[in-house]
Amino acid sequence: MTLALKWGIPVAIVAACVGYLIYTASGGTSEYYVTVSELQAHTQTGDVRVAGVVQDDVQRSDGGLHVTFTERDGTASMPVEYSGALPDIFKPGITVVAEGRLGGDGVFHARALLAKCPSRFSTQPYTS
Amino acid sequence: MLLSFWAGAREDAVFIQVGRRAFYAAAAMTLLASVLLEVALLTHDFSLAYVAEHTDLSTPLALVAAGFYGGQEGSLLYWTLILGLLGSASLVASSSLGGRVAAYAAGILAAILTFFLFVLAVVASPFELLSVTPPDGLGLNPVLRDGGMLIHPPVVLAGFAAFAIPFAFACAALLAGRADASWIAHTRRFALVAWCLQTTGLLLGMWWAYHVLGWGGYWGWDPVENVALMPWLATTAYLHSAQVQEKRGRLRAWNFGLVILAFLLVVFGTFIVRSGVVPSVHTFAVSAIGPWFLSFLGISIAFSGVLLASRAGSLGAAATRPAAAISREGAFVLQNVLLIGVIAVVFWGTVLPLVSGMFGLERVVGAPYYERAAAPLLAALLALMAVGPLLPWRRAGRPTLRALRWPAATALLALAVLVAAGVRSAPGLIAIPLAAAAASTVFTEYGRALLRKPEAILRGRRRYGAYLAHLGLVVVAVGVAASHLGQQEKDVRLAPGQQVTVAGYTLTYTGAESRQNGDHTDFVAGMRFGDETLEPSRVTYAGLGGQALTHVAISTTPVADVYVVLADTNQDGSASFRVFVNPLVTWIWAGGAAIIIGVVLGNLGERSPVGELARRRVPATLPV
Repeated sequence: MTLALKWGIPVAIVAACVGYLIYTASGGTSEYYVTVSELQAHTQTGDVRVAGVVQDDVQRSDGGLHVTFTERDGTASMPVEYSGALPDIFKPGITVVAEGRLGGDGVFHARALLAKCPSRFSTQPYTS
Repeated sequence: MLLSFWAGAREDAVFIQVGRRAFYAAAAMTLLASVLLEVALLTHDFSLAYVAEHTDLSTPLALVAAGFYGGQEGSLLYWTLILGLLGSASLVASSSLGGRVAAYAAGILAAILTFFLFVLAVVASPFELLSVTPPDGLGLNPVLRDGGMLIHPPVVLAGFAAFAIPFAFACAALLAGRADASWIAHTRRFALVAWCLQTTGLLLGMWWAYHVLGWGGYWGWDPVENVALMPWLATTAYLHSAQVQEKRGRLRAWNFGLVILAFLLVVFGTFIVRSGVVPSVHTFAVSAIGPWFLSFLGISIAFSGVLLASRAGSLGAAATRPAAAISREGAFVLQNVLLIGVIAVVFWGTVLPLVSGMFGLERVVGAPYYERAAAPLLAALLALMAVGPLLPWRRAGRPTLRALRWPAATALLALAVLVAAGVRSAPGLIAIPLAAAAASTVFTEYGRALLRKPEAILRGRRRYGAYLAHLGLVVVAVGVAASHLGQQEKDVRLAPGQQVTVAGYTLTYTGAESRQNGDHTDFVAGMRFGDETLEPSRVTYAGLGGQALTHVAISTTPVADVYVVLADTNQDGSASFRVFVNPLVTWIWAGGAAIIIGVVLGNLGERSPVGELARRRVPATLPV
């Protein structure tokens, strides 16, 4: 057996396994990342992540562990419902990414809520 | 910079010296600029936009000083500073490499430094003046007002900067057509510096995320974390495969490729993270530096790609006989391929939003993707850690099979214990026995050395230091597997006096109180846990639009961390909590410390390996 074959075959097998793992894992677990208007334009089955700005109608109940609010981008908005501890910086006006699915009732049932840090590096741009 | 290349090409000693001194001078000027920025920060010179945006009068002094690297522009200056200092150190130490390699390296380092200085001067200057000098600054984001801020970012940034040095020397050696023993020793030393900094930085980042961010975990597979992990993986691969070149004179082109890959991943990562092209929880201040880094990345890829392709032909193996596939060499190659596989998994997960965005709606992957794709590869790496060190160079025969009986027996024993203890999760039943086998291999090697020649451990410090690092990694792996697979959490609302039990740990809520502390208000809840009272709290900063911050309370027991987050408090005196029980998280920190101690002790004070390598007759020059 030549050198190239002796080393090449095992390496190729491992590389093929890696490719297979990436393919199946990304096919099985990837989610669409959309804005509110994109979500309404393309109805998705399965989980999606929706980015938008939290509006002023935040309602908390169950000691802050359940929350409903409206998420909006430039043109569209949708009601969101979420149970669990909220991110620290959650408040009207920030951008959140809700992960979950749109129910038949038109309410987005979020299973996770990520707040975008306003910026990791600075609190806000300085305007004066 | 051009001078250095020209001097290198002509092997003109005087001009080589001039090129180097120019680099030292640039480094000294960067140092001066850094000192000036630090002075401006400490004296609260709010006429500088950078100072006004990142600090204020009420920020504690240490954090004001940390503001140096707390912002986009300052962090680039810090990066440039480290590049200048480490680059100078590497050039001073490069005398044994011969004039041409050193001159080319000086030229490449100068090119990188010039790029950073250009970005600093033109695109993202930390010395921009404000038209109006405000009375007070905006202050540092509260999330960053923590002791972790003092150590994590500087270490990570220094690690990033340090990857440029092995890259410069790899390219220089390729240009000069030399890849001899002294090149390996030199590059390895600086790759180790970068690797240690990056290991420490990653661990500190995990520690910080776990103790400050309050989501119960330490690794979120966010692009920011991924881009720090990838160069680390590439350098880990290099540090292993470099041994094949040292001992057997093989895998040369591959080693060059790994060193170059690590640097390209750093530049790629900086571009990804600082330009906002992929969605991340951390949206960095989006700034104009993105396109510059993209161009720099393109030039770096083109330069090193052409260099590697044109020289690869002459980098063929030395005249040693090829080894069998089942041998130490084979183990190193497999380890490298697996690590590259992990890099591929992480890379694809990081760029998927970018790639899918070009063909329609953006798609993203979360933790489940990384777990499904990377976990089998990591398990294979653990298995390899158990087997690889026991394989002899060249070819493995029957004695090797006998040596494998200890790790195999340990793995079976661990499996039996886990099953008896009621563990039924398949990943746990695979990962922990493999980790036990890898640990057993380390102990076998130490035991054998102790029984025969205890002094061999000191003499073969590098080898036994590396085994200690392996052991540390095993401990980390067990900690990660246990905390990941065994985590339990509960969201609960409690009135004072009520209890909650999670995974057998009972906590009693004793009531909450409000404390005023300077510029922020602490709302502290008491949770009695055994003899101690945990005090998770929420802090509200009045000055920052009422931004709130959670302070986690953690009680560490030998087998698990009890991790309490105060979610909210209510009018009626009740409070909402999220309680996590995370098994064996302390193992991650302990194992991480062992990795660093092992590598540092193994390589500190090592006599110059050049002479030793020369004795092993690694071919000195390549045909050009």
